[in-house]
Amino acid sequence: MMFSGKQTKPTFKSYLPPLQTESKKSPQLPIKKLEAKLLPGEIVVNEANFVRKCIGAESCQDDLWGKLVCTNFKVSFITHKSLPQQRFQCTHRLLGEHDIPLACVEQVVTVNDVKGKQKILGSNQKLKFNPTELILYCKDFRIIRFRFDEAGPESAKKVCLAIAHYSHPADPQLLFGFEYVGKRYHGSTGERVNGVDPGGGLQTPLFDCSSDWDREIKRTGASEWRVCTVNQGYFISPSLPEFFVVPVSLADQDLKQYACFFYSQRIPLWCWNHSSGSALVRMSNISDPQQQRKVEQRISSTITKSHPLRSDVFKSDLDKNLPNIQDIQAALLKLRQTCVIDPFEESEEKWLSSLESSRWMEYVRTFLRHAVEIVYMLESRRVSVILLEKEDRDLSCVISSLVQLMCDPHCRSLHGFQGLIQKEWVMAGHRFLDRCNHLKKNDKEESPVFLLFLDCVWQLWNQYPAAFEFTEVYLTVLGDSMWVPVFSTFLFNCPRQRAEHSRDFASSKSIHLGQDQALRFPPVWDWSQQFSLKDQTLFNNPLYVGKIATCVQNGTVKTFTHRRSKKNYSSTMRGLPSVLRNGSLGPNDTLARRNSLVLRLRSDLTQVREQQETPSERFVREFFSRPVDLQGLLLPQLLPSHISVWKLYFLRWVPEAQIPQGGPITTFHKLSVLTDEIEMLQNQLRQYKGAGSTPNNLHTEHSKMYFKATSTPQQSPAPPEYLSSSFPFSPVGNLCRPGILGTPLSKFLNGAKIWLSTETLANETV
Amino acid sequence: MASAPIAPYNSSPLGNSSSPNASRESLKMEPLADFAMLPGEERVTDKEIIYICPFNAAVKGKVFITNYRLYFKNTDSETPVTLDVPLGVISRVEKMGGASSRGENSYGLEITCKDMRNLRFALKQEGHSRRDIFEILFKYAFPLSHGMQLFAFLSQEKYEENGWNVYEPMDEYRRQGLPNSEWRITFINKTYELCDTYPTVLAVPYKATEEDLKRVATFRSRCRIPVLSWFHKENHAVITRCSQPLVGMSGKRNKDDERYLDLIREANGTTKLTIYDARPNVNAVANKATGGGYEGDDAYQNAELVFLDIHNIHVMRESLKKLKDIVYPNVEESHWLSSLESTHWLEHIKLVLSGAIQVADKVSSGSSVVVHCSDGWDRTAQLTSLAMLMLDSYYRTLRGFQVLLEKEWIGFGHKFASRIGHGDKNHADQDRSPIFLQFIDCVWQMTKQFPTAFEFNERLLVVILDHLYSCRFGTFLYNCESVRDSNSVRGKTVSLWSFVNSDTSLYINPFYTPESSRVLYPVASMRHLELWVTYYIRWNPRIQHQQQSPVEQRYKELLALRDQYLKKLEELKLSDSAPSSTHLTNSSTPNAATPNQHITHLQTPF
Repeated sequence: MMFSGKQTKPTFKSYLPPLQTESKKSPQLPIKKLEAKLLPGEIVVNEANFVRKCIGAESCQDDLWGKLVCTNFKVSFITHKSLPQQRFQCTHRLLGEHDIPLACVEQVVTVNDVKGKQKILGSNQKLKFNPTELILYCKDFRIIRFRFDEAGPESAKKVCLAIAHYSHPADPQLLFGFEYVGKRYHGSTGERVNGVDPGGGLQTPLFDCSSDWDREIKRTGASEWRVCTVNQGYFISPSLPEFFVVPVSLADQDLKQYACFFYSQRIPLWCWNHSSGSALVRMSNISDPQQQRKVEQRISSTITKSHPLRSDVFKSDLDKNLPNIQDIQAALLKLRQTCVIDPFEESEEKWLSSLESSRWMEYVRTFLRHAVEIVYMLESRRVSVILLEKEDRDLSCVISSLVQLMCDPHCRSLHGFQGLIQKEWVMAGHRFLDRCNHLKKNDKEESPVFLLFLDCVWQLWNQYPAAFEFTEVYLTVLGDSMWVPVFSTFLFNCPRQRAEHSRDFASSKSIHLGQDQALRFPPVWDWSQQFSLKDQTLFNNPLYVGKIATCVQNGTVKTFTHRRSKKNYSSTMRGLPSVLRNGSLGPNDTLARRNSLVLRLRSDLTQVREQQETPSERFVREFFSRPVDLQGLLLPQLLPSHISVWKLYFLRWVPEAQIPQGGPITTFHKLSVLTDEIEMLQNQLRQYKGAGSTPNNLHTEHSKMYFKATSTPQQSPAPPEYLSSSFPFSPVGNLCRPGILGTPLSKFLNGAKIWLSTETLANETV
Repeated sequence: MASAPIAPYNSSPLGNSSSPNASRESLKMEPLADFAMLPGEERVTDKEIIYICPFNAAVKGKVFITNYRLYFKNTDSETPVTLDVPLGVISRVEKMGGASSRGENSYGLEITCKDMRNLRFALKQEGHSRRDIFEILFKYAFPLSHGMQLFAFLSQEKYEENGWNVYEPMDEYRRQGLPNSEWRITFINKTYELCDTYPTVLAVPYKATEEDLKRVATFRSRCRIPVLSWFHKENHAVITRCSQPLVGMSGKRNKDDERYLDLIREANGTTKLTIYDARPNVNAVANKATGGGYEGDDAYQNAELVFLDIHNIHVMRESLKKLKDIVYPNVEESHWLSSLESTHWLEHIKLVLSGAIQVADKVSSGSSVVVHCSDGWDRTAQLTSLAMLMLDSYYRTLRGFQVLLEKEWIGFGHKFASRIGHGDKNHADQDRSPIFLQFIDCVWQMTKQFPTAFEFNERLLVVILDHLYSCRFGTFLYNCESVRDSNSVRGKTVSLWSFVNSDTSLYINPFYTPESSRVLYPVASMRHLELWVTYYIRWNPRIQHQQQSPVEQRYKELLALRDQYLKKLEELKLSDSAPSSTHLTNSSTPNAATPNQHITHLQTPF
């Protein structure tokens, strides 16, 4: 009725031909076409018609009518009318414009505003009232609201219960990725039907084979380190990968012997080698205190042996210096409260102090600062570093990756960065399944450690935008991909779990894996799973100063290829003095050789703050006194005034915070267009130098830029109207906060830890 | 991606301070000093001294004092430590420590600056070395308190362009489409008889007679009658500005004033004239006690009054003082955000911006507005100029921005002399207030939100602020046109715009994309307002000092690369003599900034 009502019957016969555009559209309006687009393996669980999706803040005139569908993968809202004011959105290949993957649903709240009741739904629950409204709180900070005023009360209730149930899968194998990937094998015998062959054609090393590690050893010049295979079949440690790297002097036999002393048998893992030969190693605590000293000494001595200068090993206890996973989770919840739940205007006055009290930014700083300390040890003190964490699966992931990002320009390229995450997160066994809380079983294990890492990366990116091959859109989309449960990257706690689950699933579904050992989930790095090639160009940073740098001198451009000689890619240029003699750190090697006169002059001046500068502070200060080499060491500015809110990630859904036709994206647009033009010119020049064939616009196909140069490149184009500070995301219909304000629910929401805990069932009449 | 650390222009605030020919001349005069003196700059004294750098420790060196600046250079280490401080920046000089002081560096001078820093020097107790240097500094930093001239009157700098010609009131009115059938130009104030703090040329409602103007003047504080600031070419709505009405405790009314405001309303058929009173409601009420007040409902029936809640000059001064406390010398580390919040600086910025947004929005919807505060020279100037910046893209160009400042701030009598205290020793003067700085901060916030909408860059804003204090140029001297006239500022001093326009490439934003009809509405939310760290925290050596934002610099490099390729391609085509059909052949000058010799090296050393 809602839809037929829109078609007015003509009251007179018109002899004019109808406008062409209209005549094509109108026959398609009826409801019959409202069907969910399903992926292979996806099934519809429940649906309700005549559902209204709330769009506007105050009025409902922009609201959309359509069908709400719950599948085993997503909550889908299907409508004919497209959103007002939203002419652009990045189209997602797995998700429609209004779809939310179930894994992204944090909380399902049903409301009956007539009876003044609300209930948070978990799995297998009952609902004793007919909902008039469904609010979905999403892990990516969206708040989506549906109204059932015109829908059948029973079907509304059923779809809500279905969403609640299916967003709480009881078993990992119920995560959609299994069905989705399983379907690949259903076609013909063992042939893959779905998507792209993972790994094939992918330039990102997954570090699931010894050759990737070999290459990494060679790349970093870690000649005294070797790939070890003792954990093949996961016989030694359940959470370590099958292949990892250890000191050459540590024999497999020793490793097997030591394994039992370590927490979860996690023997030390090599992460990376600095060009000075210092190694970055991570390891878990030694569980047996009696053996601790002995084992530690033995490990340290093998690491020392692998250092060209035989230098000492510095141990950094991360648990002592950094917030724990619960702290991080609490911080994100508070941040979310501040960013999207608190009423916008009222929270303006206290915005800064609310940000501070969330402690999120403080933690970002703490992690960055700690990483800088480690960089100082590796770079300036030239000692190897062991990152020590009880389980070695959370904080060390962040620190080891940040250290490499700061020191190693390779990690700032797209594939280098993705390889880094494979190496330090996926293979090292970061518990993505638990930290994402995909099964919503154990809230205590949930923690946005990876998001915190992405924020740290964003801070570096924000301070050195030309040093990274990727954009902040890339970082944001990468964070969002955690909630699309089909990627090997974010589905499991460790490689072994992935292997086991996929074997089990295959056998229970009688899938013939062919020559595969396990189901081949696509890694998130296979971006064409989610985005078209065109949309993927949003990841390419036009500012990136890659290996080829151009130099402009007196109006002439010279192009240099970065050919850094092995072993000096970050430090030698700065000519830091070696502070090591025969492997021991001299006591007066603090780098601070102050003029004696000056020392004498530092006296009892009360107001001058005594600057007891530590060597690492001096290291940082000296770094900032020199021009930055974007292909060398990068240290972040750590003053709190220089740590910013990652607005694209945290504020993209907030309509009040959107700057229409403004924000950093407008400079990105101009850079993109110019870079595209340069690419085009390069192609033309190349063609001249080549056979002299007619220069043609070949470039459009492989242009790396999202925004293209126009045919008249001399005129600088105005930014497209759809650009906004939220681009390529849109707040329209994605943050229906104002609607719940002023209702009892909002007060209810302002209580406890933001997201209601499932136990608090306010007003529920049982 | 633009919000990268854009660091300032080294310890010398003025960057490339002197013109090349000037430096050669002065170097001959003073071979000892290794800084280039300006023409007209003269050495006064120099002295061995210890600079107590708040960041590093004490630095031994030599200080040079001229009639324009204080220059310090260290002698104790190979890493150079220099200070180059125009004396105009100094707000206070104090002696610290006495004869009984113990400890080597407790005896010396403490200098408080207007640009967010303090300087401390230590001297030997022997002789009268401190007394001498104190007296010299005190005299030359505050020349007006000692019957001497500001340096702007001594400077002999010459520039190709005469910056005093940047703003010609009649040209600007004509650009706006005035005079017309609704608004006329009046010269009633040509000898400053109507209002001594207004400019000579004013635009008023066509129907208002000269007699009307005189009568209205009696009812407006300091005779600052409502006059036109900006005219909307399409809908003919206007921004007018004035001071508060002299309502007083008794609630006086003035028929002429009421009728005059109605003439403004009538000019384009606005149904209800909106009067924006920049003050908080209570302040407006309190002003009645001193004879001021606001337009009452019953007296001005066709008008609606909106209070914009912007606080007065004293509140802003205190706010900036608190801000300085948390950024200088060290950035407050432990509770940065809440400390920043407690300064309220960004909150004030937000109120000013959102006030201006309301004004701009009203005008672009077709309604005329009147803006005033108490005297109409502080908050009013902020609001009208920001609203004009939002409405009129001309003011977002390098030239247009100069015109905007000349017109709304300098012309309409923002009391620069009182607010800044040029050459005046009375550092505690309650008239001082960072109103203009706050305005520039608002402009900076807008440039951050719309990085392609402004032709000028951050550097221009910093240079403007540096010369707000430096007293090197006449532009910001004195309180109003009439005083400027009587001191022959235009004849005897150089305009800041002469300096700026002699090398505009430094101030051009390469991302600028002209869009003539777009109204810019920044988001005046704490979510987007940021502390302008590259200005307020620029003295901190822990912050990277870069000449330019890295994004800007990279873009210029890319532009140069593009031009290089275009040139090569053209050469190839010529030598080919077989012309192909590409549109790229006409490689004339590209947009905005053609990067040239300014880019000498890039970020990536090889």
